[in-house]
Amino acid sequence: MGIKSFSRARAIHVMLVYTGGCNGCDIEIVNSILSPRFDAEQYNVFLTWNPREADVLVVTGPVTHLNRKPLEAIYEAIPNPKLVVAAGSCALMGGVYKNCYGDIPSEEIEGPVENIIPVNAKIPGCAVRPQDVLAGVVSLLPTLLDAD
Amino acid sequence: MDEKVPRSNIIETEIPMGTVHPAALEPYRVRFFVEDEIVQEAEITIGVNHRGIERIMEGLPVQKANSLTEKICGICSNSHIWNSCRTAEMGLGIEIPDRALYIRVIMGELERLHSHFLYLAHGCEVLSHETFSMRVFYLREIVMELLAMIGGNRVQYGCSVLGGVRPRCELDEAKLLRLKNDMDKIEEGLTDFAARFTADSMVMSRITGIGVLPQKQAIELAVTGPSLRATGVARDLRTTMFEYEDFDFNVITQPDGDVKSNLLMRALESFESINIIRQAISNIPEGKLVNHDWEMVDTDITESYIEVPRGTLYHSYALESGRVRHCIIRTPSMANIGAMQYACIGDQLTDAQLCIVQCDPCFTCTDRAIEVIRR
Repeated sequence: MGIKSFSRARAIHVMLVYTGGCNGCDIEIVNSILSPRFDAEQYNVFLTWNPREADVLVVTGPVTHLNRKPLEAIYEAIPNPKLVVAAGSCALMGGVYKNCYGDIPSEEIEGPVENIIPVNAKIPGCAVRPQDVLAGVVSLLPTLLDAD
Repeated sequence: MDEKVPRSNIIETEIPMGTVHPAALEPYRVRFFVEDEIVQEAEITIGVNHRGIERIMEGLPVQKANSLTEKICGICSNSHIWNSCRTAEMGLGIEIPDRALYIRVIMGELERLHSHFLYLAHGCEVLSHETFSMRVFYLREIVMELLAMIGGNRVQYGCSVLGGVRPRCELDEAKLLRLKNDMDKIEEGLTDFAARFTADSMVMSRITGIGVLPQKQAIELAVTGPSLRATGVARDLRTTMFEYEDFDFNVITQPDGDVKSNLLMRALESFESINIIRQAISNIPEGKLVNHDWEMVDTDITESYIEVPRGTLYHSYALESGRVRHCIIRTPSMANIGAMQYACIGDQLTDAQLCIVQCDPCFTCTDRAIEVIRR
């Protein structure tokens, strides 16, 4: 284990991006990382709001048209190695919003997240359960630590 | 207070924030116009997460549309499905069994508890007092587990259906006992928190007199819910709703309209919610859960207003051969945006985020409004 991996293993920073879901997954994830019940900090996983500090990007929501550019910019700003987790059925497949206008193609919803940035792990659920979020983020840790 | 009037001359320094910003959880754009770090004018723009849920509801069978309204907001999802069912029930004249009404009230009050705890925790976080925030989040987890016990899911419970509540949400003896015990636990925890919070002179000095919204302005801006009650207006739709006729509770008001009033308002209102849930547990009537004895007819546009954790929620639609037409939904944050803009004026830029958070913003649900022009 190199010195980079050694230090990274002791402080995994997770950033959350919210791209237009219903706020349910959002609050569940912030709570699972923050709240004392599902304490993610015991696994050395911390929440950050700064993309330049982040190692893991958690994306929720179907990406709405106006949120596409910010999402791409945030993804670009994260230093390598970076991993992306798509959480919730909206992020995985557009959820109930995907076929917003029926058969008429919609310009409103750009998602799922896979269309815009590469996704490493998917967490299903509407809304996601905190246990699943923890499992998803922790399952990515070996990939992150073997990166260099 | 009356000298807090927005200025009409040109202010040169503008500090934009957003749409995606570390200090704000949800994407929205705020422009602060400042002079010497004092905010002179603020402007909030929303519309980034527009998804058009009313358009999806148009033409869906009413039962499907009801469950879709839950996806409007992940915080007050139960209120949306409750009010949507209520709209159809009022239009079709469906009689709801008493037991179902009581379970709906219990769910509504549990949701009010979890929303207010989220507000308190988020408020403490913006105050940078993480210990308080964690304490409230820990309390909130008890409420979330109760909601998961009744509805089967932590966020979208799907409790109300047309004519009553889903059979899954039946409350048997064991569930009622757990609900009762957990209410004691929550009350104890909240009392501890409130005593510790109000005794902290540092926190009190940080929140007293910040983000003042005068009563006159609040009424002019048509602010709803706890944000209005925190300015001293005793207006609560629960006093007029037939669901709450059997219950005895106080309408809490606070005098000042600043951040302190808003935070205390939510804490005191949580005690009233606990009180309502206790009354519901001890008086819950026997009977069936769903009334299937009704017929689908075409209705004119029906309107329904209920009190949700953030204020007044409005749903309206007409039914045409069992399908939803002309749906309009208006969420409380729509009215409270004016309050957020106004509360920032005259305070330091560093307190501006606190002033916005004090009005309990939820732009997720607000961003789905479509204006339907009928000719």
